[in-house]
Amino acid sequence: MVENARSINIVANLILIIGIGFIVGPLYLTVTTASHSYEFMLQNGLVWSFGSDFLVNIKRIFTETSIPLQMINSLIVATGNAVATCVLSFLTAYAIVYFRVRWASVVFALILATVILPLDMRFVTTYQVASNVFSPVNAVLDATGLNDLIASVVGAPFHAEWSILNTHVGLVVPLLAHGMGTFLFRQFFLTLPKDLFKAARMDGAGPIRFLVDILLPLSRTTFASLFVLTFLSGWTQYLWPLVASSTAEMQTAVVGLARLVPDEGAVPDYPLIMAGAILVSIVPLTMIALLQRYLVQGLVLSEK
Amino acid sequence: MNAIDPAIHIAAANIRLDGVTKSYGAMTVIPKLDVEFRAGEFTVVLGPSGCGKSTLMQMIAGLERISGGKIVIGDREVQDLEPRERGCAMVFQNYALYPHMTVFDNIAYSLKIAGLSKAERRVRVDIVAKMLGLADHLDRKPGQLSGGQRQRVAIGRAIVREPAVLLFDEPLSNLDAQLRHDTRIELAELHRRIGATTVFVTHDQVEAMTLADRILILNKGEIEQYDTPKAIYHKPASMFVAKFIGSPPMNILPIKSDGSVLRLSDGQPVAKCHLKGEFQLGVRPEDILVDTTGDASAIKAHVRYREDLGSHSILVADLSGTMVRITTPFGSQAPESNVLLLSCPQTKLHLFDTVTGKAIAGAFTATTKDQK
Repeated sequence: MVENARSINIVANLILIIGIGFIVGPLYLTVTTASHSYEFMLQNGLVWSFGSDFLVNIKRIFTETSIPLQMINSLIVATGNAVATCVLSFLTAYAIVYFRVRWASVVFALILATVILPLDMRFVTTYQVASNVFSPVNAVLDATGLNDLIASVVGAPFHAEWSILNTHVGLVVPLLAHGMGTFLFRQFFLTLPKDLFKAARMDGAGPIRFLVDILLPLSRTTFASLFVLTFLSGWTQYLWPLVASSTAEMQTAVVGLARLVPDEGAVPDYPLIMAGAILVSIVPLTMIALLQRYLVQGLVLSEK
Repeated sequence: MNAIDPAIHIAAANIRLDGVTKSYGAMTVIPKLDVEFRAGEFTVVLGPSGCGKSTLMQMIAGLERISGGKIVIGDREVQDLEPRERGCAMVFQNYALYPHMTVFDNIAYSLKIAGLSKAERRVRVDIVAKMLGLADHLDRKPGQLSGGQRQRVAIGRAIVREPAVLLFDEPLSNLDAQLRHDTRIELAELHRRIGATTVFVTHDQVEAMTLADRILILNKGEIEQYDTPKAIYHKPASMFVAKFIGSPPMNILPIKSDGSVLRLSDGQPVAKCHLKGEFQLGVRPEDILVDTTGDASAIKAHVRYREDLGSHSILVADLSGTMVRITTPFGSQAPESNVLLLSCPQTKLHLFDTVTGKAIAGAFTATTKDQK
């Protein structure tokens, strides 16, 4: 801040304190609610004091709900999303930055376009493709009339079906079509000395060696940033896992939490739900605590 | 092992470019180049930015494909070989050291790729490090080194493979003035010791004049002149070379000859000449003498201003409508009237064709004979 007046500092601090209260208040209420029994909650509503049933509620999560199994699903989805995004983005950015690719700028523009076309926007088509991965091929064959030709030769038109709904792959793959990681790596590569690639070639390193020996070690922090960001985004996905998984065994923890609210009019078991929410938050919280540094780096899209 | 001159064995090879062309799509960078860099020589490629000198270097190194012609290193045609197979090593302008590797690993990287054992790598790197004064810094990362040390690591990385050809791409331009001066001397010393065929690209004429056995001056991808520094300075082959080399650059004046006397545009006679027509006259600032004898045949010019540089002074004078620079000893008296009487030895005059800019050889030979 340019001006360093005392009054401004006080106001700024006040705003920050209000902000903290706004965030921490509901969290506090989550913890207190999770420490009461269902009966206590029915009589007293949500209270700001601690009860004694916290461990009981946590135990009930393990015995009465699918949340533990669903957390494993979440872990698979989040890790799969993070690892696959990192690998794909790294390779894409490598190709765009270090090779004279024809139409490279067009390709990069298309990749960036995925950032403004998130999954939520192409939901219906994504669902159609996930329910049959071959549906685009079928559609093209039908539209071009090639299928009539195939039918006249083979006897039947080509029609293939492969549904990835209600599988881990189906939960992860649609999340990967996102250009943010490629952008992140590209920006990082552009900060490196541009002669590095040539120097490595002069030393006798081919493209793969350069990738493994030079680029990979240099990109460690970028990998960490992107990993944290995509892991958190994968863990907190709601809409796609809700639609793409039809059984409790395949649902993710966030979806499972929402399912703890009964469909009919009964008062939801808030202590149980809150205990579940705490349990489900532990993994991303640990992640943030450990890799906070990289998270910030990733968010500001810069290196050093 | 010889303690004084460590065991870097370089078998220098000559480099020959036969009709090499380079174009990017419709844009031609190098129209057609025939040139030979002799084995063991230090050649400086000099030219303004965009003249194709870096492209030329990268084509020799194998980082750029050539569009036509042949490149021969030693007795091998190399234009289709990968950089590592050509026996070239290169020092880059921004050093391009691997930031995550130690100095040792940076220097040893090419040896590692070549499949040398750890012990062999240690021996080779130690020799090079000792030679370049880096022995105490082998465990550091490039980020912890000064500019000059990074420069030496880059050189070490290049020579550790004992390449037949060493390529330098403006390696001194990132150093400050003092360090550049010191490194220049170190480079000359290094070349004397290891004797690799060296091609050094720069746009700095001082580097070119001091380091080169031979200077290749490029302009728009074509050779303007390829000769020793002395010849380049004293016998420039074209107006481009004349203006490019020398500080301050050579003065160029429009001049006319009637077949016997060269006259400036205001009619003052300058020298005898047997050619006839309009030319450009070139004369270096230090070759114009300020005449104090009051000789009637002296050329008159008007002093505009003077720059005192300590070691010498530069007078800027109006000579028949063209501003010329004249180098004079420091503190020499400027005449009261601001009218300067000048003379130039005829042997120091250069005559250039107005259209092509090429030097006209033997323009004054007839007259010098007459004078004798």
